[in-house]
Amino acid sequence: MQIAKSWRRQPSNLRLEGTRCTACGHLAFPATIRCRQCGQAEFDVYQFTGFGEVVVSSIVYEAPRDFGEHVPYCAAVVRLEEGISIATMITDVDPEDVSPGMPVEMVTRRIAAQGDKGPILYAYKFAPLLENQ
Amino acid sequence: MKNRIEIVGVGMTRAAEEWELGLLDIAIKAAGMALDDAKCDKVDAVVVANALGGALGDQQNLALHVASGLGLEQVETFSVSCDEASGGSAVRLASALIVSGMHETILVVGAEKTSDALPDMLETVRAAGLDSANETSFGFSPTIAAALGMQQYLSTYKLDKELFFHIAKVAHAHGATNRNAMFRWTLEPAQYNKSPIVATPLSVCDNAPPCDGAAALVVKKASAQTSRVCILGSANVAVEKGIVHPITRLSLPAATESAKAAWSESGCDRSAMSFFELHDSNAFLAILSIEAVGLAEPGEALMRAAAGDFHLKGPSPLWTFGGHKSRGHAPGAGGIYQIVEAVLGLRGDAGENQVLNADKAMVQCLGSFGAQAVTHVLG
Ligand SMILES: [Zn+2]
Repeated sequence: MQIAKSWRRQPSNLRLEGTRCTACGHLAFPATIRCRQCGQAEFDVYQFTGFGEVVVSSIVYEAPRDFGEHVPYCAAVVRLEEGISIATMITDVDPEDVSPGMPVEMVTRRIAAQGDKGPILYAYKFAPLLENQ
Repeated sequence: MKNRIEIVGVGMTRAAEEWELGLLDIAIKAAGMALDDAKCDKVDAVVVANALGGALGDQQNLALHVASGLGLEQVETFSVSCDEASGGSAVRLASALIVSGMHETILVVGAEKTSDALPDMLETVRAAGLDSANETSFGFSPTIAAALGMQQYLSTYKLDKELFFHIAKVAHAHGATNRNAMFRWTLEPAQYNKSPIVATPLSVCDNAPPCDGAAALVVKKASAQTSRVCILGSANVAVEKGIVHPITRLSLPAATESAKAAWSESGCDRSAMSFFELHDSNAFLAILSIEAVGLAEPGEALMRAAAGDFHLKGPSPLWTFGGHKSRGHAPGAGGIYQIVEAVLGLRGDAGENQVLNADKAMVQCLGSFGAQAVTHVLG
């Protein structure tokens, strides 16, 4: 991911910020500039809680370019507690131990580096919810 | 359909790793075959479908270069890039240009060159048809999305992974007799079960193999008394993007709606179709396509495949020349291969891959993991 693109995406990638339409209340993640439900263009920043649960997961053995360093890794669909499903990686756990319904929370991790000298993208992954929470 | 389009010529190269030919070469080769088949040396426009060429650093604006290479002067050219729905979309565009009265005869070509790219690079570029900022940048690809979808399908319907063998088996049974196919062998369960895992539960054998290939059509406004294969109906439907939707819902609304609209325009329905060519870039999209167009109830595509429904002599013949799985998957050209193969079947020229008394066929390709579906009804 190029530097400007990565910079532009910081609110969603690092803080899980999206938008809430002031007209109809529709939540969007990542942020949008026009509500896909009502067409309005005024929004409040909406901070997603970062809590959710695993819907389905897969252990990846052959990764796309720039993701080989993580293999084997756990790719998943996580449903945020606000009801939106996102594609994300599950981290801080043996991929074999991830299962549907597992409570998870957002963490910030290294996603990928573009080659040896390219920029490194940091963004959200999800990790099992700590028990004291 | 009032404004029928007839298909006056078809051509296709073998699906293979063509080390000695480039993207433009294979496009021109298939185009030449279609022009020869149509006994035609003049067209008004050239429409070329290609999904990956620009991103792989190969030729952009391919249509201009194909027309120039063929020596076609004073023609209008369009390059169409709609991910793996490029082929079907290119035919839709050509049909619209004819129906509008703007042009009479159009050459439509689909071409893709995958073998020049290293596998991880190819996977990355193929993934760019997904949501680039939210999926591709996070390491997701069509293959990983398909793996998640397969897992969700298996757990939702409480099925064994081994059942997916029957999807690949159908494709290989038909591809074995297709001289243009990349993998011309039938598939045994032992071979399927030992296929290496790419992303659980998806193995190499659940994915269509990338290949180089090009296919082409010459289309024109149908004369009233034509006996040639015609486009009886078509539709191109897009719905909300995102790999999470097919994975969590286990349905492809774009495929269902596009099929319904194409059937409605053609004045016939599923029961009138002699055979089907559906999008099988991976086993997950294959089974959702089967269910989306009503060849199986939700959750029953694998059982219907195991029961033999989709074989050439079954009630709903599918992938008559092996589909993308056995013939080979040239993403931007796939939609044109499907139509060329269907035309051969409807002409009665399919040889060992012939469906007896074939009268009408339904062809569907998908883009961006099923968020787009283009359907053609031919007959
Ligand atoms: Zn709204």
